[in-house]
Amino acid sequence: MNKEETVKLISAEGFEFVIDKKAAMVSQTIRNMLTSPGSFSETQHGVVRFPEISTTILEKICQYFYWSLQFTSGKETEFHIEPELTLELMMAANYLHT
Amino acid sequence: MESGLVELCISSASESKESIEKWRRQRRTLEKLPTPLAEALLRRLLTRRLVSPSLLEVFQHCIEEINLKGENLVDAEWMAYLGAFRYLQTLILADCRSITSSALWPLTGMNNLKELDLSRCMKVTDAGVLHLISIRNLEKLSVSETSLTADGVAQLSSLKKLYSLDLGGLPVTDSALSSLQVLRKLEYLDMWGSKISNNGAALLKMFLMLKFLNLAWTKVSKVPYLPSLTSLNISNCSVESIFEQGYYGVKAPHLAMLHLSGIEVTDVHEIFSYIDPRRLSYLDLSNSFLHNFQFLVNMTALEHLDVSFSRVEDDSVELIAHVGTTLKFLNLGNTRVSSAGIECLAGCIPNVETLILSHTAVDDTALPYIGMMPSLKVIDLSSSNIKGVLFLVFQISVTSVMEVCSPSYAVNLSKATNRRAKVLPGHLTAWPQGIGVVSCVSCPNTGTTPNETDNGFCHLVGNELDQILSLTALQNLNSLERLDLEETQVTDGALQPLSSMKDLMFLSLKSDFLTDASLLFLSSLLNLKFLGIRGAVLTNAGLLSFNPPPLLEILDLRDCWLLTEDALLSYCESYSQIEVRHEHIHNCTAAQIVFHDSSAIRGTSRPVILRPKLAKSSPAKTCTPCIPFRKEVFVDERLKYSRKELLELKSSPLPRVSYLFHNALELLKIQ
Repeated sequence: MNKEETVKLISAEGFEFVIDKKAAMVSQTIRNMLTSPGSFSETQHGVVRFPEISTTILEKICQYFYWSLQFTSGKETEFHIEPELTLELMMAANYLHT
Repeated sequence: MESGLVELCISSASESKESIEKWRRQRRTLEKLPTPLAEALLRRLLTRRLVSPSLLEVFQHCIEEINLKGENLVDAEWMAYLGAFRYLQTLILADCRSITSSALWPLTGMNNLKELDLSRCMKVTDAGVLHLISIRNLEKLSVSETSLTADGVAQLSSLKKLYSLDLGGLPVTDSALSSLQVLRKLEYLDMWGSKISNNGAALLKMFLMLKFLNLAWTKVSKVPYLPSLTSLNISNCSVESIFEQGYYGVKAPHLAMLHLSGIEVTDVHEIFSYIDPRRLSYLDLSNSFLHNFQFLVNMTALEHLDVSFSRVEDDSVELIAHVGTTLKFLNLGNTRVSSAGIECLAGCIPNVETLILSHTAVDDTALPYIGMMPSLKVIDLSSSNIKGVLFLVFQISVTSVMEVCSPSYAVNLSKATNRRAKVLPGHLTAWPQGIGVVSCVSCPNTGTTPNETDNGFCHLVGNELDQILSLTALQNLNSLERLDLEETQVTDGALQPLSSMKDLMFLSLKSDFLTDASLLFLSSLLNLKFLGIRGAVLTNAGLLSFNPPPLLEILDLRDCWLLTEDALLSYCESYSQIEVRHEHIHNCTAAQIVFHDSSAIRGTSRPVILRPKLAKSSPAKTCTPCIPFRKEVFVDERLKYSRKELLELKSSPLPRVSYLFHNALELLKIQ
């Protein structure tokens, strides 16, 4: 994958998720980080750390990004969320504006 | 509205009791949950009826506002858990019928609680007040229609921080009100239906901050001068004076809203003499016996005027027109106002957004004038004389359209033809070119020979009965969102102009003149969210071929007696996003059982029978009179079921069904 078109999301435990920039942009918060004209280190290196978000949740979030892209392009499938993840995922989603 | 993933999480979390069990033990996460998320989750759980009192416990750290309005389940046990919500600021318990006085005990000492609504909790008595007065920081309290007595109300005087107090429907006496005088912060006081007399009303001037006062349905006839007041409601009182007592030369400087619905009054001008007419923005005069509206003259700031069910007539409409550019809402429903009155309004109230003319004698000649109110968003013409077609008595060949527009031309024309002819201004370009619109208002019969007017500008071609689709006049209203034409005589053809009103969101029709043909025009209204075509002669085939506008949410087909359950259900299936309303959709399970095997017969028999009749009414060539159609409606019981079905019904064991179709069977025998 071309490095320009991907971003690296790092969870609280240090796990790294490399995903398409386009997918990460589903989150308004990440979009702002990556596109703001200021000198955010995120903008330059394409790496975003989430010390508050656990690996399980961040993995789910990445799945959601891709699902959301498919959904908006017309592929209407269901996005399953395990009930035990709902609370933490909700908080992360709230933070990420997604 | 929550964003995508938050919404999905909330749906998943509140899917079932089992899913709740999966997350309710995550206490630390729940404690961290931001208040808006926790409140959204709790709201969803409440609407899905999944909240048990013990589940409330997990929310005790993160909820600031909870609305339990109308939850009959809420009882002392719920209250015990709610008492532990230490950050709770707003608690709405309106219409919670199981709440008793003792159930309020856990609320004692809840120092963060600022707003409490106990409206219509009938079991709350004076004993409950003891618990309430320990909530020191309470700012907003509603105890309307509870079982409090005057004594209980008097005790509320210890809640010194109150600025809003709703005592509606309680037997508040003058002495109880006098003990409330210590509530100096009071801005909002509702005492409708209380036992307050003029003596009590005189005490109101002690509340220096009072902005809102409701004294409806009381014996108060004299309201003292209250300079801070912005809203006053004295509906259904016999009023002698407002602001006369204590008046010192400055007309109430802030009063903007005045509710005088259903008042009995001896001298209405006396009432308005102490009110600054230039401040009033909201005036409700509905249901009053007023007929002289001279007081409207100086009300130059009026935005909302309701004179429905009053004795307003065309002569007084001129005074309303005088209000001018500020007027946004005008309700003339159920009055004697006619098209002539609407003519006075044209051009005078350009910013009016809502115009209600239901149950008036307004007819199609008013539509061009309504079309001259460019800001209109809502028009209600239900039960008026609108037909959607204007009959052109004369067809005129016009040399200059501008000439036709001028009023003097109408006068000339009247002279020439010896009748009250009127030229309808505006939108001539929207009508067929070269034809001026002249309606002969007083005499519909056309007996005169072709004529030539004095100035020779036009020539009356003849007395051909020609017609114009009068709803065309509304096409220029670009902001029109809602149009109500229920119970009018509009026909399919007359609705045609509506198809170009792309911004229309709400359209309500109810008429037995409408058929499948209307559906064709209506599918081109792309922004439509609500469509009601009640009582229309729609067929199954017509409905199934109706391609609904993409945004449609509700399709109201009640009283469309020709539609079968099968057709409706299959329509619901194909367009699941639309809520279809029809008698068959909710309460027809019994009939479904009876008819499950005969749907094929029903599907074909009815449209075949009716088609010739429909064809007669659909072209808007002539205005079909009302009576023959009513007869056809009467026939429908026979048409509703095929002969085979009726015979099946006859042997049906269900007594209810046989009773329902008894008439139909009788008629069949006669045939």
